[in-house]
Amino acid sequence: MAKPPPIGNRIRELREQHGNMSQAALAEAIGVTRQTVIAIELGKYSPSLESAFRISRVFGVGVEDVFSWE
Amino acid sequence: MNLIDMPFREKTAWAMSVILTLGAFYYFEDVVSVSRALGHTAPPIVAFVIAYVVFIAVTSAIVMSILGGTAGKEADAPADERERRIMDKAGNWSGYVLAAPAIGALFHYANYGDGNMLFHIVFLGLMLSQIAEYVFQIILYRRGG
Repeated sequence: MAKPPPIGNRIRELREQHGNMSQAALAEAIGVTRQTVIAIELGKYSPSLESAFRISRVFGVGVEDVFSWE
Repeated sequence: MNLIDMPFREKTAWAMSVILTLGAFYYFEDVVSVSRALGHTAPPIVAFVIAYVVFIAVTSAIVMSILGGTAGKEADAPADERERRIMDKAGNWSGYVLAAPAIGALFHYANYGDGNMLFHIVFLGLMLSQIAEYVFQIILYRRGG
């Protein structure tokens, strides 16, 4: 099994803070599939810089408020 | 992950890997039975190759239309960044699966001069690399990307 990338995220927490936004709604907003949002949330996939910025814009915060180096 | 949550492209990868495996199995069953009857390696039989290609084309068209019909707009959506990366990686790795039998076939030909076997091994390599590409996609989808 491949080692997961050492990048943590607060996407789940931020979704909950934004009216329990669904994974599907976030996926639609950033232009990826729901399964990709799930993979990002679980830390199994590191998104591109573009998607990372798109996610942070959806939540109205900075990239470093969503992602962290663990 | 259940079947409903499975991405459309992973479903198609499962379907194509099964279809290609069945096609390869039926093709080589025919080649082996002809080789046994002849007492030596069967020559390349174009009818078997055509039957294999038609089987793959017809079966995959039917299965893909069924999967596409049940997937809704997900089937029409372009691959996202993670899916493109998965397809690129799987395509890259499957190249090694093609190279291994091709090199083996060349060494076999160099030692035994059996051109028929060369054809069958290279054709098998092509089949295996296609199957491997879909299997690698499934593994990468399961791993996350």
